[in-house]
Amino acid sequence: MSGVLAVLEQRDGGLRKVSFEVTSAARRIADVRTAPVEALLLASGAVSEADQVGRFGADRVVTLTHTAFARYAPEAAARVIAECVKSEAHDVVILPASAMGKDLAPRVAAKLGVPLVADVTDLAVENGAVVAVRPVYAGKALLKVKVTRKPAVLSLRPNVFTPLEQRRKAEVRTAAIELPEGAGRVVVRELKAAAAGAIDVAEAPVVISGGRGLKEPANFKLLEDLARAFGGRAAVGASRAVVDAGWRPHADQVGQTGKTVSPPLYIAVGISGAIQHLAGMRTSKVIVAINKDKDAPIFKVADYGIVGDLFEILPRMTEEIKKIYG
Amino acid sequence: MAEGGSRLIPAAHQAPLPLDRLLVPVGAPGAGDRMDLDVVVVGAGPAGLSLAIELARLSKQAGRELAIGVLEKAGALGEHCLSGAVVNPRAFRDLFTEDETALPFRSPVTRESVYLLTAGRALRLPRPPSMRNRGNVIASVCEIVRWLGAKAENLGVNIFTGYPAQSLLVRDNTVAGVRTTPAGLDRDGKPGSGYTASTDLVARVTALAEGSRGMLARAWLEWQRIGSTNPQIYALGVKELWETKRPLDRIVHTLGWPLSRDTFGGSFMYPLEPNLVALGLVVGLDYPDAGLDIQVLFQRMKLHPLFREYLEGGEMLEWGAKTIPEGGYYSVPARRSGSGVVLLGDAAGFVDVPSLKGIHYAMQSGVFAARAIFQALGRDAADAERLAEYDRLVNSSFIMHDLHRTRNMRLAFKRGFVMGGVQAGLMTLTGGRVPGNRITVEADAAVPRAAKPSGESFMPDGKLTFSKVDAVFKSGNATRDTIPQHVVVGNAVDQRVARFYSHVCPAGVYEVDGSGLRVNAPNCVDCKATDVLGPTWLPREGGSGPKYKRM
Amino acid sequence: MKVAVCIKRVPDTETRVKVTSDGKTLDESGVKFVINPYDEFAVEEALRRREQAGAGEVVILSLGPQAAQETIRTALAMGADRGVLLQADRIPFDGMTVARALAAELATGGYDLILFGKLAIDDYNQQAPVIVAELLGLPCVTAVTRLDIHGRNGVAEREVEGGVEVVEFPLPAVLSVDKGLNEPRYPALKGIMAAKKKPLEVKPVSFAVADVEVLSLTPPPERKQGRIVGEGPEAVAKLVQLLREEAKVL
Repeated sequence: MSGVLAVLEQRDGGLRKVSFEVTSAARRIADVRTAPVEALLLASGAVSEADQVGRFGADRVVTLTHTAFARYAPEAAARVIAECVKSEAHDVVILPASAMGKDLAPRVAAKLGVPLVADVTDLAVENGAVVAVRPVYAGKALLKVKVTRKPAVLSLRPNVFTPLEQRRKAEVRTAAIELPEGAGRVVVRELKAAAAGAIDVAEAPVVISGGRGLKEPANFKLLEDLARAFGGRAAVGASRAVVDAGWRPHADQVGQTGKTVSPPLYIAVGISGAIQHLAGMRTSKVIVAINKDKDAPIFKVADYGIVGDLFEILPRMTEEIKKIYG
Repeated sequence: MAEGGSRLIPAAHQAPLPLDRLLVPVGAPGAGDRMDLDVVVVGAGPAGLSLAIELARLSKQAGRELAIGVLEKAGALGEHCLSGAVVNPRAFRDLFTEDETALPFRSPVTRESVYLLTAGRALRLPRPPSMRNRGNVIASVCEIVRWLGAKAENLGVNIFTGYPAQSLLVRDNTVAGVRTTPAGLDRDGKPGSGYTASTDLVARVTALAEGSRGMLARAWLEWQRIGSTNPQIYALGVKELWETKRPLDRIVHTLGWPLSRDTFGGSFMYPLEPNLVALGLVVGLDYPDAGLDIQVLFQRMKLHPLFREYLEGGEMLEWGAKTIPEGGYYSVPARRSGSGVVLLGDAAGFVDVPSLKGIHYAMQSGVFAARAIFQALGRDAADAERLAEYDRLVNSSFIMHDLHRTRNMRLAFKRGFVMGGVQAGLMTLTGGRVPGNRITVEADAAVPRAAKPSGESFMPDGKLTFSKVDAVFKSGNATRDTIPQHVVVGNAVDQRVARFYSHVCPAGVYEVDGSGLRVNAPNCVDCKATDVLGPTWLPREGGSGPKYKRM
Repeated sequence: MKVAVCIKRVPDTETRVKVTSDGKTLDESGVKFVINPYDEFAVEEALRRREQAGAGEVVILSLGPQAAQETIRTALAMGADRGVLLQADRIPFDGMTVARALAAELATGGYDLILFGKLAIDDYNQQAPVIVAELLGLPCVTAVTRLDIHGRNGVAEREVEGGVEVVEFPLPAVLSVDKGLNEPRYPALKGIMAAKKKPLEVKPVSFAVADVEVLSLTPPPERKQGRIVGEGPEAVAKLVQLLREEAKVL
């Protein structure tokens, strides 16, 4: 069934959210050419929610199982996916540009002897060819490219495509496979989980940063409370001023000489908005600013702002967020 | 020095130059490695590179290879160089045979205008004779330096970027080389991961081409007790490079607003390209108002219609700051050569303030030094007597001739704008003969200052005007946050003095924090303004500071 | 231990991005070029592996214009032994084409390790190391933050969402390295002098037509004008509602 292949990602038997984004993107491409979408998942056994993928536009969901796929098996995975593409003659392949996908996608492309367009933030079909947009120069520019070879292999930046519900009657299949060439020379022996609550500022989907407006290091507790209310999704960052003052560690610093972050949601609390801070978070999807100075430069970059006393605003926010994330 | 009433005397709070750190005996412990060269040049600016080029040429011609090393504290050539600049091309024509179009100039000066500004208007003035720039060219000193650097490397000169010099290596009364700064120290000054020890560069001749307020040059002069008729005095220039919507077709200089009558200085605006405009404000550091903030003044200045019409809708590309030695003829040290050492360019004070020129003097001084050094090394004696040939060459050249002609011009302005104007006019008409006798001045730090009642505080708009923090970002400064503090704060620095420092520094290194002084050392762009009036500047690890591209 | 390091000359991170009149390429006037920051970690790692083994060679390979010789010299100043520049004025955007050129040069080298930086800060393609490995038939591990080598076996760590993967692989192998793997050394003064005398071969290369065509290079869309939602804690409920329904980030 020649069409668009969406490569899904699971971890420890649970489907990762980015899989829905990839399926939606595949659906968007497939609809232009009225082609089917096949979703492919490699796992060691059944994966919960694999049957949900039809909600996001898959016509068929195939889970191929082998004990080697309990962990990411780079060489075997690339081989299996490439074979699937060849045997079904898919002409577009979409993978997530997650940590795994950034490693897997170029392998798949290399096996197919075609280029990869990586970390895509938008895609479409123009005159029969896949056209993709991707950020370059640290997000300071967008590159638009056209892929002229088939199959077109692309990887999708996570947290950019909103999964679109599109009810389909998806055919769900699970099959155990053999790996005659073995699992490969590169073996993932172990996955060491990060310490609980220690989500890195550069990885978190929500970053809440504090600046001098917090007045004292102890007041960062207000940000930590808010972060906890997001249920493990949020990290607490810091401006250069408070790191210089010794209130927060350098690893939490967001800005030109600290970390560059691009989360879906960035909340700047008591931060004025100097360019060297903006340089580190300017490409965040949604920016919220809380500051008592209505002329603070941060309000010029923020999508939403509240002017007022952060000591009153933060506890209220924590309450409201708790209601959502439980 | 007792302080009178509410007047602040900067010198009373300054620490002395730490000569015990700046002068180190050859062979003393503290360096991780040693390299032997024939000549080491401190500073890859126009002076240092011209010396290296001329010396390399002479040695090649004579078939006597010399090991020449040029140390540059910036991470790449040109990154700590800043000037206007309108350059007199004569030094280039003497040094290089290239066709003019191959030289690193942007365009010849065609039109020029001088204005006297008031808060709302610009009065066109007739051009003073000292400011005739026909035959001169507009250039970026960064581009000049990168161009000279390429020439030097092609001739086999070793240029070591990212290597500041922190001490002179000395043996008896002779300068025997320099020691570089270590890298990778943490905030407490202890070696962190990535620590690299100092290196000693032992050389037969050391050329100090550190630029304005050169630290080792000053240390050597103090050590050898070499004075000058007047102390050196300085101005601070703050500058921005803009991409403009409206083209500029002339070089512009202004006097008057936003400076008051008791403050010396003026502004410049030059087109590197019709839509690539360099502009800046230069202010003498002997100003009497303790609350004067040159960076704020410059930002306000841009709102004047004369500048605004060019800058509106444009984009500020770069910002920077640097001091300029303004003492002229009487502040040049009695001799600029000694046993094993020569002083070049701005570090020796070879700047002509009325014409705002220093680059061609710097280059020519480098050429003269190269010739003297080559002769001395040929006779295997880099002693004071032989190297004095350098002083003779400079003294009998256009460098000292030009400086002598304008010797009282800037100094006349110490008596105020009107008096200064009259005297300057007389000087120009009489070719410097009237008034002829020396005008004595005191060092900038000795000038007492009082805080005038401050006006409304300045709110930058982020489009035409910028805060100090944002300006520092535009200087390309990305200095490591955990670097040890490199400035040495003196004594009795209370809130009043802290406030003074916060106004002197254009980069926001100093802030008033509670009742004391807060130092944001990574912000420093090495301009040396506070070194003149406040805490002592010492070099930090290589590559720190600004990264000027076309300043 | 024979190690090859592939490096790239890229515009500095602070580069202001302006597009030339063709609408597809970066305007290079006023742009400062540097060695790709991630590649410095790769060069450092190669030097350490050679030092640890006591003997060997570190070769620097780069695909780039003539000016990339300067970039290679930076790596030589850190201590690498020799360099090869595959010289081309324009590097194609296509990762496959780039990888083919590199692989052709690397194939005959007999390298124990071929190192790359994780990504190049201009194109962010993150593909060359993997495709080179595929073309050379070698195992590959990407984004390495920790590396141990014992004889002909290696163990690497790489960061993934919420944790660290521990990966085993045999030598010879291709690795791409991430920040934090090591602390790149400062080139010593003697290193800078010695670099000038080290061999640097320049080989012109040309490319077939790319399979990926650049249509345009544009600045990102202006952020839509934001707004102050309200004042004080009373505005919080409204903000949260907007974040849910309008921005869809909750």
